[in-house]
Amino acid sequence: MFGSTSARLAALFTIGFAAGVLLLGLVTFLTTRAALIGQFEQRIRTEAAALAQEYRVEGLTGVAQAVRERDRTPGELDYGLVGPGGASLAGHLAGVRAKVGWSTVRVSESGERPEKIRVYAIALGQNYQVMVGDDDERIEQVERDLVVMFTLAFLGVVGLGAAGGYGLSRVAHRRLAAITDTAEAIIDGDLGRRVPKKGSGDDLDRLAATLNRMLDRIEALMESLRQVSNDIAHDLRTPLTRLRQRLEEAAASPNEADKTLSMEAALDDLDAILGTFAALLRIAQIESGARRAAFRPTDLAATARTVVEAFAPAAEDAGAWLDFAASEPAFVEGDPELLTQMLVNLVENALRHGGPGVIVTIKVVRSGDGATLTLTDTGPGVPESERGRLFDRFYRLERSRSTPGSGLGLALVSAVAHLHGAEIDVRNLEPGFEVRVAFQPAAKPRSAGH
Amino acid sequence: MKLLLVEDDRDVAAYVRRALSEAGHTVDLAGSGRDGLLLAAAEPYDVMVLDRMVPEIDGLAILRTIRASGVRTPVLLLTALGGIDDRVEGLEAGADDYLVKPFAIAELLARVNALARRPPPTDAPTVLRAGDLEIDLLQRAVKRGGARIELQPREFQLLEYLMRHAGRVVTRTMLLESVWDFHFDPKTNIVETHISRLRAKLARVGGPELIHTVRGAGYCLREPD
Repeated sequence: MFGSTSARLAALFTIGFAAGVLLLGLVTFLTTRAALIGQFEQRIRTEAAALAQEYRVEGLTGVAQAVRERDRTPGELDYGLVGPGGASLAGHLAGVRAKVGWSTVRVSESGERPEKIRVYAIALGQNYQVMVGDDDERIEQVERDLVVMFTLAFLGVVGLGAAGGYGLSRVAHRRLAAITDTAEAIIDGDLGRRVPKKGSGDDLDRLAATLNRMLDRIEALMESLRQVSNDIAHDLRTPLTRLRQRLEEAAASPNEADKTLSMEAALDDLDAILGTFAALLRIAQIESGARRAAFRPTDLAATARTVVEAFAPAAEDAGAWLDFAASEPAFVEGDPELLTQMLVNLVENALRHGGPGVIVTIKVVRSGDGATLTLTDTGPGVPESERGRLFDRFYRLERSRSTPGSGLGLALVSAVAHLHGAEIDVRNLEPGFEVRVAFQPAAKPRSAGH
Repeated sequence: MKLLLVEDDRDVAAYVRRALSEAGHTVDLAGSGRDGLLLAAAEPYDVMVLDRMVPEIDGLAILRTIRASGVRTPVLLLTALGGIDDRVEGLEAGADDYLVKPFAIAELLARVNALARRPPPTDAPTVLRAGDLEIDLLQRAVKRGGARIELQPREFQLLEYLMRHAGRVVTRTMLLESVWDFHFDPKTNIVETHISRLRAKLARVGGPELIHTVRGAGYCLREPD
């Protein structure tokens, strides 16, 4: 519990606050005490000065009279007048021996406990002395009250601080412990665990939501990694087996010419396998999203034109037809090299699977600030049941299994589209097939030209 | 030609060295970045072949160091990393060409040859000739034996590249990269179809075959003997 950050913070705040209260108490105490003593002495001094004045005006009898009168008033100050040799003349302080100036004396009256009295004495002439004093118990009483009050306040503050800190840290601790538990569970292999949320939308809830999103992403990545490992294990087994057979053939062949032939076939197989690896790595690189940093305004129409020009002669030679339509530049924020490869893969896919005499048409149109690429072919289309898996890695249509190909072409198309935030739609035309890639307007408004 | 090969894998190094020697080159081999840098700085080479990942000092660091000290020897960078960023990084560090492992040895030989005889950058001819074939780079015009030949823009670029490398083998990949700017391998034989169209157009006005297919390697434009 005290290992937790919130508890330590609460304790620290409580200690700081208590120290503040202590300092405040001390200052208040000292100021109040000084003020009270000042007032007390001022009053006595004034009274004594008044009696000295009386002596000068009225003489000894006048002073004695005044002392007696004032001394009789209950609850007021105490007075005393002493004569030569300490003879007590008037007032009930008259029996007290006190030096001129301030002193503290004890006076006991009959039947009462002795009082401590602060006395101020003034000499009158050569032989007489007038004294004014007061019980300073009252100051001490106030001092005691102050101490008691501040002690209570101090204890209250410390108690409240400790209780509040404890409560607060308990709440924070419990919720952080939930996050820790989730993390531990995930470390132990339960990837499906998520951080519970309170639903209040506070900072810890937002943290939980962010952590959960991160965990979703990690789980998806793990899943795709697992998927890819499985796919690689399964789909590379066949070409590797073929490669092995060819090499065995070559090794066993007594005839030089046959040996060379087998070796060349083996090299072709190996190149195909390396090509598959390159495509997988490329897809992984694209999916990592790192290429987004290199995005720049790219004319999709010009890119498509280049690809169509490059492939048209080969298409013609194969008895197919490649057509291109775009009336204006269509800029998207993107990676020209990847967009080129996406177009190449789409075109090659359509030419390869469209059947003899296929006509492939590519259109690029601006739509708002985005652009839409449409590729249609007059081929046999894709069975409804297989459409969902068309863009999966290594997926090949039932009827194309026997033709060469890695099943990665459209997976790469999908990865590139995803990287560019573009949506892919496919549908069967009757007859034919259509792939639409819709690029959203760039978040950053493109500045035309560069 | 005198070549420097910096490659730490001994099997690959031995194989590449033998192939380069058989092609008539003198090869110095360095097995680590430190040795490579020492040789690169001390000896004059026609071409350097640097593996990107070698012990002690990596290929990119060697490249940056020798370029910073003013060595302009053509450099071919070899790498096991095939990412686009890696290629760009290599070229920015001063490489003249870039080859991803694993590669066919014919590809390496063709690229080394293409680099070595690259004309100095100041020398920029506007007319290229091979036998009776003549192309004007400014007017984008092609003539053979005085007869004009009409070429598509891409066919012209293809012919220009072959003429610039006349007498040397250029591979399919080199053509894809420099003529189409395709840095990946399409399955379709677009190079072959363009070459055959170009050959047909050149043959239409008569004269011997200029563009020869080199089996297992690529193409070579040769003046007739």
